[in-house]
Amino acid sequence: MQFLESILQALASLKANKLRSILTLIGVIIGVMTVIAVTSIVAGMNRYVANELSELGPTTFFIDKWGVVTSEDQWFKVMKRKDITLADMEAVQEYCTNCEKVGAMAQSYGRVKYGNQHISDVEIHGATPNIEEITSVVTDYGYYPTDYDNDHRTQVALIGWAIADKLFPGIDPIGKRITIAGHSFRVVGVAEKRGSFLGQNQDNFVAVPLNTYQKLFQKKRFDWFAIFVKARDYPTIEKAKDECRLILRARRHVPYKEEDDFSFQSSESLMQVFRSFTAGAFIVMIGISSIALLVGGIVIMNIMFVSVKERTKEIGIRKALGARRRNILWQFVVEATTISLVGGILGVIFGGIIGKLVDMLTPLPAAIEVWAVFAGIMVAGFVGLFFGIYPAMKAARLDPVEALRYE
Amino acid sequence: MNLNGAIIKTENIWKVYELGAEKVPAVQGINLEVKKGEYVAIMGPSGSGKSTLMNLIGCLDTPSEGNYYLNSKLVSQMNDDELASIRNKEIGFVFQTFNLLPRATALHNVELPLIYSGSKAEDRIEKAKQALRMVDLEDRMMHRPNELSGGQRQRVAIARALVNNPAILLADEPTGNLDTATGIEIMKLFDRLHKSGNTVILITHELDIAKYADRIIHIRDGKIEKEEIVHQ
Repeated sequence: MQFLESILQALASLKANKLRSILTLIGVIIGVMTVIAVTSIVAGMNRYVANELSELGPTTFFIDKWGVVTSEDQWFKVMKRKDITLADMEAVQEYCTNCEKVGAMAQSYGRVKYGNQHISDVEIHGATPNIEEITSVVTDYGYYPTDYDNDHRTQVALIGWAIADKLFPGIDPIGKRITIAGHSFRVVGVAEKRGSFLGQNQDNFVAVPLNTYQKLFQKKRFDWFAIFVKARDYPTIEKAKDECRLILRARRHVPYKEEDDFSFQSSESLMQVFRSFTAGAFIVMIGISSIALLVGGIVIMNIMFVSVKERTKEIGIRKALGARRRNILWQFVVEATTISLVGGILGVIFGGIIGKLVDMLTPLPAAIEVWAVFAGIMVAGFVGLFFGIYPAMKAARLDPVEALRYE
Repeated sequence: MNLNGAIIKTENIWKVYELGAEKVPAVQGINLEVKKGEYVAIMGPSGSGKSTLMNLIGCLDTPSEGNYYLNSKLVSQMNDDELASIRNKEIGFVFQTFNLLPRATALHNVELPLIYSGSKAEDRIEKAKQALRMVDLEDRMMHRPNELSGGQRQRVAIARALVNNPAILLADEPTGNLDTATGIEIMKLFDRLHKSGNTVILITHELDIAKYADRIIHIRDGKIEKEEIVHQ
């Protein structure tokens, strides 16, 4: 009863003085809003990236010599590494027992021409036919270059959706001849649209058999070449990696104690890299919301002092009627906590609106995180409790005679 | 302690205020006894120390010296929370300015002492309604103080004072903020409550009002000046 009364009292005083209430709550609102908005946006980014990366599949990883380069020093180090070769891939294919499928892909950029239309900077993939299954490229129509094509180094290509769209508007591209980096190829398939990922168009590619690629396109120094492995199932992925590591270290004569001169990447490891970027956003968020909550708490403490002062007479009356110190203490602590919880709830609402707007206006699937809602409201409640205690103690310690005399 | 039927007994109580280096003795060695069921007026001009005495009798304050027994309990040595509990159970205050909570209904105002004594919600509402019935305000119980007349407000305050069945009703200038007719109405209510067995202590500076009591104790300069029996 006393509890309910204190809550109603808090709500009534918030309602009675709207401008003051907004000013009182603004710190807590901003604090909680930041938490909700940032967590929902970051979660949206993570979800978006995870979704895109999942095309690689949970059991798939690839091995290249570059890894994720995050500094110039690292760049110079990995640049000196030996290139990964087709022979490396064949070794993995032969000896790795936990690898279900092993393929390879080389990649460079070039110009693609059809008639008098051309597109520059198209990704040219030279891929073993099983790359289709390993990386789950979906062929919309036609087919992906086959083993036959690879063995015979035929000049056939599967083209990305964007290439088909630009070079063959309204025309069936199958069977048409295009020029890829100066060499003539016959289009045998078109890939399904994949959209863009982090601003990069993923449909702007052509895929040709790896052997054809190696014959026709002079391998340049910075061309990318990777071994793609699909492990038998999720639990064996680490075993498969260990096997690959052993095979490659032996083949490439990496001395004992020296680190690998190649690196593994999987959707998980790429995700980790991405998460380390978003962790920065979290730290900034924690900083902003801590400051806002601290300020919010101090404002609440201040407003509670005002409230105690304004209601000195009431405190006197309550004490005369038998309220003990703890009754008064409790009343004001509950009131401060209620005020701050209202701020927390408003913060959740505003933060949720920001998240929703981001969700609607950007490709990020931002969604409110349930844990963040709880955390935000809990922290708001705690702020009220913490900063409400001192004013409440002052109220509880008032002398009844003095308080009754106060006008 | 056996007090021979006295519900209030003070033994040489003093209250000395320290204002900087100066000591101001507001109550100077008062010995007072009030028996159960008595109707006593404490009368004196302003500055006589009657308000301080009321605060001591009402357990809002403790004496600097001397003993005070209320309903056989030595209250002069109690701490804040024990005093709060005594005020809650043994004393029903009626103030000059009513001292109702402005935002609460009449019913809720009357319920307050019961909240602090920890009664259950149903009991509380029932008792509060009963108290309001005693002061003929049953029909106004959902009204807030600003919707009630002065006399009605004071009756709400009296209902609140009665609701916990206290040992004494302690009224401090209960008619001070009321017109004469309403004041008489309130004094008649006190008469009625006294006749039904309540112990009433009235603090006033008006002789007309004091004369409603059976016994008048005159205070001057913090001491008892004289006592007079008005009715037997």
